[in-house]
Amino acid sequence: MPDTTTRRRTLFAAAAVAVLVTLSAVAAPLASARPAHEIPVAPASGDLSGPTTDGWEDVPAATVPLASAPSSVPNADQTSIERVHVQAARGDGRLYLRLQWHDATRDVATNETRAFADSVAVQFPVNTSSRPPIAMGGPTNRVNVWYWSGATGTEELLAGGAGSTTELQSPSVNASAVHRGSGENATWTVVYTRDVDAPGANRTTIADDGDLDVAFAVWNGSNSERAGRKSVSEWHYFPFGPGPEGPPYETVLWTIAGIAIVGVVAVTAFGVHRSRGGMN
Amino acid sequence: MSSQNEQQDGSEDTHVNVADGVDHQVAMVMDLNKCIGCQTCTIACKSLWTEGGGREYMYWNNVETKPGEGYPRGWEDSGGGWKSGEHSERETGEIPSEEEYGRPWEFNHSEIMYEGSDEPLRPREGAEWGPNWDEDQGAGEYPNSYYFYLPRICNHCTHPSCVEACPRSAIYKRAEDGIVLVDQDRCRGYRYCVEGCPYKKVYYNTVSKQSEKCIFCYPRLEGEGPDGETYAPACAEECPPQLRLVGFLDDEAGPIYKLVEEYEVALPLHPEFQTQPNVYYIPPYAPPQHTDEGETVDVERIPREYLEELFGERVHDALDTIERERQRVRQGGESELMELLQHKNPAKQYRLEVFDDA
Repeated sequence: MPDTTTRRRTLFAAAAVAVLVTLSAVAAPLASARPAHEIPVAPASGDLSGPTTDGWEDVPAATVPLASAPSSVPNADQTSIERVHVQAARGDGRLYLRLQWHDATRDVATNETRAFADSVAVQFPVNTSSRPPIAMGGPTNRVNVWYWSGATGTEELLAGGAGSTTELQSPSVNASAVHRGSGENATWTVVYTRDVDAPGANRTTIADDGDLDVAFAVWNGSNSERAGRKSVSEWHYFPFGPGPEGPPYETVLWTIAGIAIVGVVAVTAFGVHRSRGGMN
Repeated sequence: MSSQNEQQDGSEDTHVNVADGVDHQVAMVMDLNKCIGCQTCTIACKSLWTEGGGREYMYWNNVETKPGEGYPRGWEDSGGGWKSGEHSERETGEIPSEEEYGRPWEFNHSEIMYEGSDEPLRPREGAEWGPNWDEDQGAGEYPNSYYFYLPRICNHCTHPSCVEACPRSAIYKRAEDGIVLVDQDRCRGYRYCVEGCPYKKVYYNTVSKQSEKCIFCYPRLEGEGPDGETYAPACAEECPPQLRLVGFLDDEAGPIYKLVEEYEVALPLHPEFQTQPNVYYIPPYAPPQHTDEGETVDVERIPREYLEELFGERVHDALDTIERERQRVRQGGESELMELLQHKNPAKQYRLEVFDDA
């Protein structure tokens, strides 16, 4: 009897471990399916046309950390915005982006010698097959920028390196913005929309598959932030892949790993069981 | 044969260091002993270039009383320029506020002209500072108070820190004559040039949202007027005492070269900013100090230390040279320097076409 009990306990323990390991192997990638630099893109539903329209409630947000951009302008390391919340949705032939960040002051005028406006920018590679240098791209690897400023509104820009920013004459992107709240809770909310199909020279193509690299920048006008004095993100990406589960190789790899773990546990348990049985 | 010794590659053999990539360098010498503070230069400039459209507060040319706060207020302590003569690292600077420039005042014209008010004509409110607010105030105590006038335009520097400050290369030194200009198509109003200029001679237009500055009246130099003739900048041509010489620093036959490079009596303002200005000043003389009884004493009225603050150590040699040459003329001798500084100027006051055929 004691032998049988011990054997059962051993088997039960081995089975429990196997289940736990299997669960953790399979469930972990499901739970943290979004890698650090991925910004989820939800199917567009509801009204996403404005910064505070209802549709945004159902769109998942990613928090993107920001840091002072490396720049040669004076006081480039003195920036004030540390993160921006990004939501993205796609549908009906349009891409919608909503950016939100805390900024206690609404700076929208540049009509004084020391006045600068709050601004935000979204940067994409013009050629999506490779990542341009993060700081405004490079001469052979340019970036397409969606720029919004509290003073001048929306501009679509092209840049091939710092200092080369050029405004495109027929912008394909619209933006609308609102500043709400007060003090620490005061928040800018800016919504960009663009037709997915918006052909044009030096304009980023938004494809149906693959990842689209994207980076963000925010300027706090009341902190004299302008030009290279700005808070910027690293490159992130929108997964415009074939499905919400991400690229298929990931699932295949996790499945193989799960089977392998189950197999190892089963073989170990069987080995323990046999060795104990052999001793009897 | 040209006085400029043309070399094989077309560059000229000159002793003057013009900026890299610049063919010739425009320059101006202002004789501070002739300035009467009438502001005709200021108005000539303003009526030509900065009358309206966001330029109301701008004076590309201003005349300020020294010692004094100047325009914009306290500009000498507002930063900018270079940390050293190596021109590798810039001093950070500040953008002057509207108050420091002086806001255009609102006057009670309508009350007086249309509403029958018998108030005196005066600014409505906020008239607490403005360009030339401390006019004629100066320093020192009676009977030895002193002041002089300092006309200022953009110095069109050989090492312009405003140009280096612009992250977009929107402000540049043009190749043919070294005039510093803001490309209005490239400027995005970041104002790094405004804070980077230690003389605070770049201004932000609050309407166009771009920066602007003295253009050395280049359309006049280029004969773009209705008669097609070449003219010196308006501030120079309109000056009643004609205190300005205009030409090229590297025109070795011209008076500017002689005053700056040979006699070394024309000095840049605040050389310690290290931008190497191309506007030069003949430092001011004043009558010696008096006793309370009106006796003249052998003490300079304008302290040398103050002039050294403005023009650097070389002001001592410059003033000594001028004094020596004055003495020579007093004793019946001849002096080319004294002739250059007078209206007998044999070398022409404006020499703007010397390189036209080069």
